[in-house]
Amino acid sequence: MSGMRASGRKAEKVNPMIHANWTVTILEAVLVFLILYKIFSARRGKELYIRKIPGLNAIDEAVGRATEMGRPMLFSPGLSGLGLPTLQALAILKHITSAAAKYRTRIIVPTADSVVYTIAEEISKDAYSAQGVPEHFNPEDVRFLSDDQFAYASGVVGILNRENVASNFMFGNFFAESLILAETGHQVGAIQVAGTPQITQIPFFITAADYTIIGDEFYAASAYLSREPTLLGSLVGQDYAKAALILIMAAGIVTATLLAIHPAWAAWLDWLKWLKP
Amino acid sequence: MFTGWLIKPGAPQWLWALGVLGDFLIFGSALFLLLQLVPVRYRKALVVIITFLAGLIYSVEFFVPADPKTGKNFLTGLIEQVADATNVVYAFALGLGIYSLFRFHGRNLARKRSGWHNSSAFFIAFFAMMLAGFWHDLRPSAMSRNTYNMLFDGIVAALGATMFSIVGFFIVSAAYRAFRIRSAEATLMLTAAFIVMLGQVPIGAYITSSLPTAGLGSLFKLENVSYWILNEPNMAAWRAIAFGIEVGALAMALRTWLSLERGSFFEREL
Repeated sequence: MSGMRASGRKAEKVNPMIHANWTVTILEAVLVFLILYKIFSARRGKELYIRKIPGLNAIDEAVGRATEMGRPMLFSPGLSGLGLPTLQALAILKHITSAAAKYRTRIIVPTADSVVYTIAEEISKDAYSAQGVPEHFNPEDVRFLSDDQFAYASGVVGILNRENVASNFMFGNFFAESLILAETGHQVGAIQVAGTPQITQIPFFITAADYTIIGDEFYAASAYLSREPTLLGSLVGQDYAKAALILIMAAGIVTATLLAIHPAWAAWLDWLKWLKP
Repeated sequence: MFTGWLIKPGAPQWLWALGVLGDFLIFGSALFLLLQLVPVRYRKALVVIITFLAGLIYSVEFFVPADPKTGKNFLTGLIEQVADATNVVYAFALGLGIYSLFRFHGRNLARKRSGWHNSSAFFIAFFAMMLAGFWHDLRPSAMSRNTYNMLFDGIVAALGATMFSIVGFFIVSAAYRAFRIRSAEATLMLTAAFIVMLGQVPIGAYITSSLPTAGLGSLFKLENVSYWILNEPNMAAWRAIAFGIEVGALAMALRTWLSLERGSFFEREL
């Protein structure tokens, strides 16, 4: 990824991937156009179809289970600071906290980041206020535990056991502690719904959690749960963008295969070089 | 800014820290007062504009071609300053996290709730580590270093390693539940997992050691089959999931940047 220039002076390292080249710029423009086009067409009232995602449907089921059993829920927004995965996790938290406030079910939100803690507290407070029961919000249920990975895991394990939670939600960036949290949730008998963009942790959640949201379903969660036209349009735009990428990859595969079979065609199959970074 | 004018070079470090804090309080208060003067109906629009401008800096810096010699363009220096400012905000937010911990554990202790002794352990550990850190930083000596190392390496790091080691046991319990011959897919997963695990350990290599190391026969050596499973079908699935995740992240970043994200951040669409 880094290029070294040989010269009479000491060679300087230049990383060519920090800035976009023309290929990346055009590709980004195409993808952004597709996403924005579907967002604005959805805002104009166009009906959009979204397939069922069992894991997201299970969220309401899990909230109902905790309400019936009279036991609290736990929502873990992951270990990272305020990035895209955590923003999405907080959007899901708002949906769950609104349901919790509606049914007067307790929800505990341990966080591993101070900024996320402040936002999670505001979200929870607003959700209870929106349901007309601000007095039911307990500020101590939204806590900062630690930004250390295993200190946070220890804290969450302790809460899961002491509070005997009925539903455990894990959304956001998780790492080695994912299996610790998921297995402990299984041991206390909680229904578990998990989603993470960390591909290495998906197998652990699939094994230990009842419902797992894989890959781009995680980023579809806020659209799926809220059914807002803007978010649904963005979801469809994502699919269009993925279709465009698949077409480009297919064209590249066909071209590379033809080049391997017929090297003489290299002259008019040379467009592949434009895809190189 | 005022710090640079009022405090001469060579002044002690604590005076500079005090000056920076004073700068922050003065400018922070002035900014807060200015924001209070903005009419309520324009405040969301102000947030939208600031969000857009903040994102625009990063986008423009990424797309504007860089100088081939330095790898930088006219905005790269600004990005570094914005990143530093973000770190400062995060550092102040850490105080809120500490406040949360003190509030929760302090009430546990004050009301002698169930498990209050754990809260006392928190306070003892917090102040012990803080004092050891300050002692080691401000008055370094062999004793301060040993104390700090005993607390950090001997207790904190050891406890973290203990929690990490529990993952091994949990993997066994999770695998016992997951690796069952319940369906065709589960059987396939069990077989693949068995081959991959054997391929990572010496006994796996020993089982197929009689096969040739080159030619067609070598393809069936356990370590080669394990490598193929990890690098071909597994990698294909990995990349497919990664594509979906990255496109989803792009869409979400776009919505957040353009303030089209409705839900946690605005109670209505803008």
